[in-house]
Amino acid sequence: MLVLTFAVSGAGNCVEVGGAPFVYARTTLGSFVLPARCSHRGGPLHLARVEPGRARLICPWHEQATSVKRLARTGIPAVRRGEVVTAVFADATPDNWSTGHLPLSPDLDGTSVSV
Amino acid sequence: MNFSPVYQPFELSAEQLREAALHFASNPLYLDNEEWENDDNPYRRQLRPQVLQHLDFTKKLSRSEILNYESLAAQRLLTTIYESDLMFLPQSGFGEKYEDFKRFYSSTNRALGEMIRPALERHSFGFLDDEVEVTGKWTRASLEAFLRDLENEQPQPSLAETAIEKSSDPARAARMWLIQFIPDFMSEASPMIRNVMGHYGPVQSDWFKVIIDEYGYGVHDTKHSTLFENTLSSVGLRTDLHHYWQYYLSSSMLLSNYFHYLGKNHELLFRYLGALYYTETTLVDFCRRAANLLTSVFGEEADVTYFTEHVHIDTHHGRMALEKLILPIVDACGEAVIPEIVRGFEEFKVLAQVNDEDFAAQIEWMDGGPTNKALHEPVWEGIQQGRVTAPIADLIEPRGELSNTHCHNGDELCHIVSGTMKFVAGFNSHQILEAGQGTVIRKNRLHGAIIESEECVYQIHSVGDYRACLS
Repeated sequence: MLVLTFAVSGAGNCVEVGGAPFVYARTTLGSFVLPARCSHRGGPLHLARVEPGRARLICPWHEQATSVKRLARTGIPAVRRGEVVTAVFADATPDNWSTGHLPLSPDLDGTSVSV
Repeated sequence: MNFSPVYQPFELSAEQLREAALHFASNPLYLDNEEWENDDNPYRRQLRPQVLQHLDFTKKLSRSEILNYESLAAQRLLTTIYESDLMFLPQSGFGEKYEDFKRFYSSTNRALGEMIRPALERHSFGFLDDEVEVTGKWTRASLEAFLRDLENEQPQPSLAETAIEKSSDPARAARMWLIQFIPDFMSEASPMIRNVMGHYGPVQSDWFKVIIDEYGYGVHDTKHSTLFENTLSSVGLRTDLHHYWQYYLSSSMLLSNYFHYLGKNHELLFRYLGALYYTETTLVDFCRRAANLLTSVFGEEADVTYFTEHVHIDTHHGRMALEKLILPIVDACGEAVIPEIVRGFEEFKVLAQVNDEDFAAQIEWMDGGPTNKALHEPVWEGIQQGRVTAPIADLIEPRGELSNTHCHNGDELCHIVSGTMKFVAGFNSHQILEAGQGTVIRKNRLHGAIIESEECVYQIHSVGDYRACLS
């Protein structure tokens, strides 16, 4: 188990664990830790849009759909406190991670979430 | 003929809430005081009912509003409501206070408090819904990894501790700091006791062990509140409950009331456990630093046993909270309760940060008394030149009129037209303001005043941001 704390937005908003990048997405349908690469062909899921009227993210490369409910309910356990998020990665070791930055689509960066 | 009643949750309209809050606070126990401090009367608390009718408790405060006056008023109300569940007696006997005792614990007082409590809690703690968000599939293993990760954090001195060390008057700042702990430490573990009533298995009994420690195993001299009283006495502070009521910051009560809020509302039991683990674990290092800080400020005469005791016992309590309470209750109740545990852990962090920043700002405000007084001249000049057009309140008050402590939601300028005012910015912190003088009153900073001439005529200019008045 690896517990990592990273930024919700801006610099350091991407954590790469075992070679796989993750970001924290805030959508109108809920928030979750999002694999930044699409499971289909590795497209930039961090730039995905929410499909109108449906709880799915649409990858910009091949329009592969990913369930938002699945990410929120069965995804990586995490908690956001203000502008930082702490996530627990089950299959990771303390020496196999790094942080960076990835831009988020307007549907994922929290700007559409009214608080 | 069947009758099927429709269940409606209890909720007051805005008008009903305003009336009920005023009804509760108009109790003679809660009116303004003529002195800065209460005198061995645990039932007297200044709630400033005259202002309540202007406040809207129906909406949730945001993070940026949490130090506004509405929050201070709500926290004073909540402290009073929660503490009517606890038993307090005056140190020097009843005398005339017997009537106050009966009033404080009367069904009327308690029922009126209960009516407004849910709305006040939503108003005060609702911002945490936005500040903390739990997601994903949590398991027992991921929860344990998450909680144990706290042990890897490198403890740093808080902003409050740094503010005391760097204060122009560290002893005054340290006394103000100790005063902030009184709502929590004098009835320590009382919120926790709310959770050990009932019947729910081995966790209940293990939790009781923590309480036994806090209560000094039934030996009064070792009860933690007794140890804290010794600390207060050793640095020249009074130990009668809420003697220093007017010097509590809203965030200090926010922190202490949070545990009452979680303990009073049993549906928040799991959140309480998360917050408990955080506080018990981090208290070890905090208490070590606190003991050192108090000794460095006051010398060896400061009795820091309260803090050194916690360095020892909270090492056990942090472990017990995890291994004897949290993990067993997850085993008993299932992983569905984990998000609430995580939420409580993180919520307490948010509140601790709010309190830390608030206290440090208050010390800066207290130390800055001469600066704020000197700022009167250029700000007053700016107002006269029309740089800012601010609402003005004209006031005339007689000798001895005490403006009980409060704060404002924006910067204000106090301008003395005639007479003398003693302007108080915190415990043992004041400036004397004469005719033609005044002071800038910073947003959210606790303050009060007393008139020291036969009459004082003064103005309050609500400038919003005093810097706008400067050229």
